[in-house]
Amino acid sequence: MLGGLESVRVVLPGDEVMSYNPDSSGGSIFLGPGLRWEDGMVRAAKAGLLKKTSRHLYFVDTHQKRYIPQRREYVIGIVTKKKGDIYKIDIGGSEQATISFLSFENASKKTRRDLALGDLIYGQLIVANKHMEPEMVCIDAYDRAMGMGVLPAGGVMFNVSLQVAREIINPDCPFLLTLSKKVKYTVVVGMNGRVWVKAAHQNSMVALMNCILMLEYMTPDEANEKALKLLEALM
Amino acid sequence: MRGLNVALASVNGPGDVKVSNRLYNRSHLEVCYSPSTGHSMIRERALESVIMRTVEQAILVHLHPRTAINITIQEMQSDGLALSASVNAACMALLDAGIQMKTTFAAVTCCITPSGTVIIDPTEAEIQESVAEATFVFESSGEASVLTAHQDGRLSYEDFKKCLHHCQVASKDVFAFYRRMTEKKYQNEIES
Repeated sequence: MLGGLESVRVVLPGDEVMSYNPDSSGGSIFLGPGLRWEDGMVRAAKAGLLKKTSRHLYFVDTHQKRYIPQRREYVIGIVTKKKGDIYKIDIGGSEQATISFLSFENASKKTRRDLALGDLIYGQLIVANKHMEPEMVCIDAYDRAMGMGVLPAGGVMFNVSLQVAREIINPDCPFLLTLSKKVKYTVVVGMNGRVWVKAAHQNSMVALMNCILMLEYMTPDEANEKALKLLEALM
Repeated sequence: MRGLNVALASVNGPGDVKVSNRLYNRSHLEVCYSPSTGHSMIRERALESVIMRTVEQAILVHLHPRTAINITIQEMQSDGLALSASVNAACMALLDAGIQMKTTFAAVTCCITPSGTVIIDPTEAEIQESVAEATFVFESSGEASVLTAHQDGRLSYEDFKKCLHHCQVASKDVFAFYRRMTEKKYQNEIES
């Protein structure tokens, strides 16, 4: 199992996972996405694989394409509009996110960071809940970029299912490393299912895109061989 | 007998919604049903209404305010079971899309012949000859409460209870099917 995670079983919405009473039970449990606690019973709210970590965190891992904005996640957005001091960014959710012109490294009221419509931005969501429209920034708490900001021109961005994006980001999954043995490339992965790849030649970029898209239908082990074969054929 | 009723369902959401449909505290649900032949008319509107009210009870709409969830159902083949096939297809599409729900739901149709026999999943011909037809949608918890009941024809109270009981038993098969399909989808992950 990758990193202390244990798959329990497949659950459907409404399935009872466990009964939990905060007064009687000894330890506390933590409920992640896909689970609800109602009337002393923990039930699944989504269809998927129920997983638990060693620290009693339970969640349902679902295969889905639709992104629901979550605070502190790193996402790739597309600039769609400029409204005064704020840019509207499409992050693939139901609402567009906003980003202030001051949320970039070394930006001040005098030195503005001008974004063109259609630019790709890699940033972090600092506000994301069902009540408010999402807000993102391209700096961390100490005003450093840390890899965030406008993505350089010349790459290709494509959409993958959310679980594929989570899979390739996982440090225990060697897929991206395996690809790098054949081709030198830069990759940026957004938790909203958007992946941006840049390599020296256009055909390498398309090949890398197709390799990552293979993960939608195969496990990383199966995809490893097919991906290597595809990249070999390129050389 | 079975397999002649085919419905294709797809779910889009939670996504953008027109200002006129925007609700401050919940998601706006839309069901669009297209028949296999001809234009969408009153019959399709009625089906959409029944499906909408069923689905509304299952989806956790308060988790996604100011959004819209669109369910589109295309009737591919129909042999009398258009409603139950569509409801079940909608449930599977919602499961696949990962929309949070309180429960899964399953629809079963039955009809009563003039001699009093209950037929589950009747064909169009059997429905024409029957005294009454009823479709029940159940939720997946232990007691299998009824979410929706749609009935046509004349049923005595005893016959109604008989139909309900038979449909309740048959719904277990549908729930078992949902579970099998979900297990198949996550098969690769379970093994690793």
